[in-house]
Amino acid sequence: MSNRFEAFLGLSVELTAFSRFDLLGTGLAERYLATLDKVVGVEITDTLLAAFVALPPAEGEARIKAVRTTILGNELLGDVARALIKLWYSGTWFELPLAWMERFGSRPADTTFVVSPDAYVEGLLWKAIGAHPAGAKAPGFGSWAFPPKIPALPELDSKA
Amino acid sequence: MLFPLESTLKADAKTVAGSGEYDVVIVGSGISGAIIAKQAAEAGKRVLMLEAGTGANITLAGYDDLLTTFYSAVSKDNQSPFPVNANAAMPRSPKLRKLQAGETDSSTYIVQSGPYVSDTTYTRIFGGTTMHWEAKTPRMLRSDFKTRSIFGQGLDWPLSFEEIEDDYRLAEREIGVSANVEDQQYLGQTFPGDYVFPMRGLPLSYLDQQVNKGIEGTSVELCGKTYPLKVRPYPQGRNSIPNPAYDGGKGYRPIGAVDTHQVEEGGRCQGNTNCVPLCPVQARYHSGKTLAKAFAKNAKAGERLVELLAQAVASKVDIDPDNGKVRSLEVKVYKDPASAAHETITVKGKVFVFAAGAIETARLMLASGLRSTSGLVGRNLMDHAYLLNWALMPQICGTMRGTSSTGGIVDLRDGPFRERQAAFAIDIHNDGWGWATGAPTSDLLELVDDRNLHGADLRRGMVDRVSRQLLLAFMLEVMPDESNRITVDPQYTDALGNMRPILSFTVPEYTMKGAAYGRRFARTVFARLGAQDHTHYDPSDFGYVAYEGQGYAIRGGNHLAGTHIMGTTRTNSVVDKNQRSWDHENLYLVGGGSMPTIGTANVTLTLAAMCFRSSRDILKYLH
Amino acid sequence: MSSYSIRTLDELKEFLHRAMQLEHATIPPYLTALYSIKPGVNQDATQVLRVIVVEEMLHLTIAANILNAIGGTPDLARPDFAASYPASLPDGETDFEVGIQAFSREALATFLKIERPAQRPKQLAGKGLIQRKTSANTTALGSHPRYEDLHFYSIGEFYSAIAEGIEYLEAEAHRQGTTIFTGDGSRQITPEFYYSGGGTLFPVTDRKSALEAIALIIEQGEGDGGGIYDNDEHELAHYYRFEELVKGRYYQKGDQPGHPTGPQVQVDWEGAYPIKANLKVAEIPEGSELREAAAAFNARYGEFLQLLTRAYNGQPSLLLEAVPTMFEFRNTILELIRNPLPNHPGMNGSPTYEIPGSTKQAAPTRQSEVIA
Ligand SMILES: Cc1cc2nc3c(=O)[nH]c(=O)nc-3n(C[C@H](O)[C@H](O)[C@H](O)COP(=O)(O)OP(=O)(O)OC[C@H]3O[C@@H](n4cnc5c(N)ncnc54)[C@H](O)[C@@H]3O)c2cc1C
Ligand code: SF4
Repeated sequence: MSNRFEAFLGLSVELTAFSRFDLLGTGLAERYLATLDKVVGVEITDTLLAAFVALPPAEGEARIKAVRTTILGNELLGDVARALIKLWYSGTWFELPLAWMERFGSRPADTTFVVSPDAYVEGLLWKAIGAHPAGAKAPGFGSWAFPPKIPALPELDSKA
Repeated sequence: MLFPLESTLKADAKTVAGSGEYDVVIVGSGISGAIIAKQAAEAGKRVLMLEAGTGANITLAGYDDLLTTFYSAVSKDNQSPFPVNANAAMPRSPKLRKLQAGETDSSTYIVQSGPYVSDTTYTRIFGGTTMHWEAKTPRMLRSDFKTRSIFGQGLDWPLSFEEIEDDYRLAEREIGVSANVEDQQYLGQTFPGDYVFPMRGLPLSYLDQQVNKGIEGTSVELCGKTYPLKVRPYPQGRNSIPNPAYDGGKGYRPIGAVDTHQVEEGGRCQGNTNCVPLCPVQARYHSGKTLAKAFAKNAKAGERLVELLAQAVASKVDIDPDNGKVRSLEVKVYKDPASAAHETITVKGKVFVFAAGAIETARLMLASGLRSTSGLVGRNLMDHAYLLNWALMPQICGTMRGTSSTGGIVDLRDGPFRERQAAFAIDIHNDGWGWATGAPTSDLLELVDDRNLHGADLRRGMVDRVSRQLLLAFMLEVMPDESNRITVDPQYTDALGNMRPILSFTVPEYTMKGAAYGRRFARTVFARLGAQDHTHYDPSDFGYVAYEGQGYAIRGGNHLAGTHIMGTTRTNSVVDKNQRSWDHENLYLVGGGSMPTIGTANVTLTLAAMCFRSSRDILKYLH
Repeated sequence: MSSYSIRTLDELKEFLHRAMQLEHATIPPYLTALYSIKPGVNQDATQVLRVIVVEEMLHLTIAANILNAIGGTPDLARPDFAASYPASLPDGETDFEVGIQAFSREALATFLKIERPAQRPKQLAGKGLIQRKTSANTTALGSHPRYEDLHFYSIGEFYSAIAEGIEYLEAEAHRQGTTIFTGDGSRQITPEFYYSGGGTLFPVTDRKSALEAIALIIEQGEGDGGGIYDNDEHELAHYYRFEELVKGRYYQKGDQPGHPTGPQVQVDWEGAYPIKANLKVAEIPEGSELREAAAAFNARYGEFLQLLTRAYNGQPSLLLEAVPTMFEFRNTILELIRNPLPNHPGMNGSPTYEIPGSTKQAAPTRQSEVIA
């Protein structure tokens, strides 16, 4: 695995609170990195990855604060990082806000689109709530009668 | 279930046009047309089925393509699995807007002439709207057949519950209804001693159970009568556990996905929570299953008894002026949904059956200048009015799992209050606020973009926001009213030059009274549950209706009815109680359009039952 | 009667235990191949594999019904039940290996062999069992309990031995005015609890239903009496469904075996994740998320076998609960198969199906030899 891809996975773990195993298990990690490259360009993607790599090794609140100030609150990177979260959670790339385009220029590939049919199916939002995407990964007859199995947050639970 | 490969080979327009007389020519491959096709084929009759939409989804591969289209669609709206086809267009809701007084909006397929704008829909594709439906299958109540006599509202049917009861059972067999008799014996519904449904009831969702915990044992009072509250399971047209006691102990064999090759899915509902708009495994009934049985007759008979001509839009009815019989049907056959190029053929038959759905059947008649002696074609359009109420439960309920809806509150489907206001049935939506707000995608956008959540906070936030969602959808009774109607006008045509339906509709006061009460009822239920009410109706909503100082966003119910109403004489109705046209003795107009009232039952089980009745009449006519 | 014939009820029970083992052993290979297929491709293959997995589950359940009918106690948690992969299956003179691998031509070649074992050539007619070539540590499916070092010529012969055993023992019992079908009827699994579109489940209560049950298992696999369909409903036998994929063409009515003439089947042989065949947990680096997930899966699979055991021992409704577990497996297997295998560039992980508490270990194969 290249360093770039490693950084992308690390960033994605940070933003989504899903483990590397979960993210790789979608089979979509490479394609999502490629989506970033395609939509906002390699340069901005690299800036985003560099910002992640440069995060202080702190844990807990300090770490969250650093992510907020240097990534999510960064004028260039914030909207891109939020689009990446939404991409992981739903399989859809949501067009960047107008204000971002006005400031940094609009990109031809930046429209709202579903990356691929399986991207919808692997959306993490369903996993987060212990459900399954409507129309796929059915949980089986009668499973709905039982309480949901909402997966624990492995990463952060262990740190807290 | 398997059906023979040969039957997927498209009938060819030339052969159809040149092949002399069919016994029965059916327009529309929805459940109405399918039942009649199957019954006729079983009696050895030659059947031609015309379908306006494409027939690619007849095989599993074609069906699965619809699923892929759905996965890839940015907006997962109601019609998202079904590709745009201008030659056989269907209503698509995302484009609707509110009308100014006197305004007409012709930008969508159904021309909205108001004042109410409806997002009601149907599906023009092989299998019709059953490719899309949710498949709740309650029967109508006894009183629903006599609302004029009992409540002074609406119309009486020319048929009683008792006359239709046997056909209800045939419909329950055909659709494969899952329900337990003991759950359905409320409000005086009875079942003969040994009756069981083909399959056992589907279990209530965890969400239903949580709601039930909060309301069971409580009651409401209305017009001096007390109504106990409870969450009851809905009967459903999706595969569950076959009941060994069915059919006097013979049992029932569920029908899963159909294809020309053996496939193993859909034998039992897996909880895909996607019944609308498309069950991925075909556990939910669609009329392709009935048609597969009809096609199977071809193989047995060694000839093609049932032919399907897809991409064939019935466009004009030709009447013999001497005897009023239908002489032939003009049909526009197109090769490619992306092009309006088509050829026009003439089809002949002994009996014609229009099963194009309440709106399209009326449209076809009106476009042919056939308003009927009573002048009622297109009038009395009915559709259930839906009022949505949404809230957050205090506890995690695991929303977004299970069939679209497993249970609801149905004890106010009947009562003396129907003299004044509409009855209703409430569905609890297992897919949360989806219908009202676009959840859970809308929640994701809000949490990420506005509430600035990421990482573990986001994961927890999603659970907190989505897994507690409760949506109560009130399905309100709508009575027939001659001014609610479908019309046509040569200035509004589709790609093939066929006139499009124009919809004029006012939500009746009777219904709005029920809606206003429904809103209060929902607040009472939320209070008992300790749920946070998040309901709000936007005055700019296309379906916004003001009533007594309050506003309500009313949604279309997709339960279209009334446009060729059934009655006792040629002056008070379009069809007789066998759905035969009073004016044209070899023409049957079948489906929801024949229903004089719709009560609080989703219409399909009832219209399926009526089609069994009509099949017998058609066979009698042919002999 | 040959010395290999079943003579006692206990022996028949042991044979049926092995029949269950055999039927179950095909599920992990089929399931893994099914879920190794990449999204968006090989829809036909997906359907074929799904049908077959569901029917193997049906066969497992049928075998349990027969065992219950004669008063046996199905036990899928018995240490010798779960196979270790690769396991060996009899195939004429030689055994062949059934392993866990991705959807591929090689996988299909194996599946074809599973579904239609070799036909015994005329010159070997009446000859006995074959000497095993694989190590005693390899799970030998379809073997004879009294002759662990020998194997049947084919799975068909293994089932024939069971059918003859039933006939023989029931005839014996009859002479003494009794029956071997003394099992508690409430332990039978009926269609209520397990539904499969092809071939319905029925309770086994007597000689006739027991023999029908065996016939169903055989016909669904290899076809009825040389025909391509397994019964009068024109469902293709498993063997021919796999062959459709290999030949790239569907069978249709009237076709001769080996010569399908229907529409083309699209197969994308590259359309599967590259998993490491017969992966063992020990090969995954310690402390990795993948290893943890693979071990967790095996533990869940073990629980699943225990759940099935309870279902087959008087609690048939538990089978309904087993279904959601199967669906949960699908999600985990997909994740395992999409995660890269550390230290194996270009290869992905896989479920290993090493069931905790299971005694079988894989070992190298020995040289082959036929004995009469
Ligand atoms: C989202 C949704 C949910 C629903 N849920 C339920 C439910 O839970 N319970 C329930 O009872 N009902 C439900 N319904 C309603 C139900 O689907 C319909 O009542 C039922 O499918 C109508 O069947 P039909 O055969 O009469 O008409 P349709 O299914 O509409 O069939 C008409 C057919 O005719 C074809 N056609 C139309 N015009 C022409 C022409 N000119 N020439 C040739 N062919 C033509 C169409 O393409 C179509 O195939 C729902 C509907 C929708 C949209
Ligand atoms: S819940 Fe799923 S499997 Fe069941 S009918 Fe609906 S879509 Fe089909």
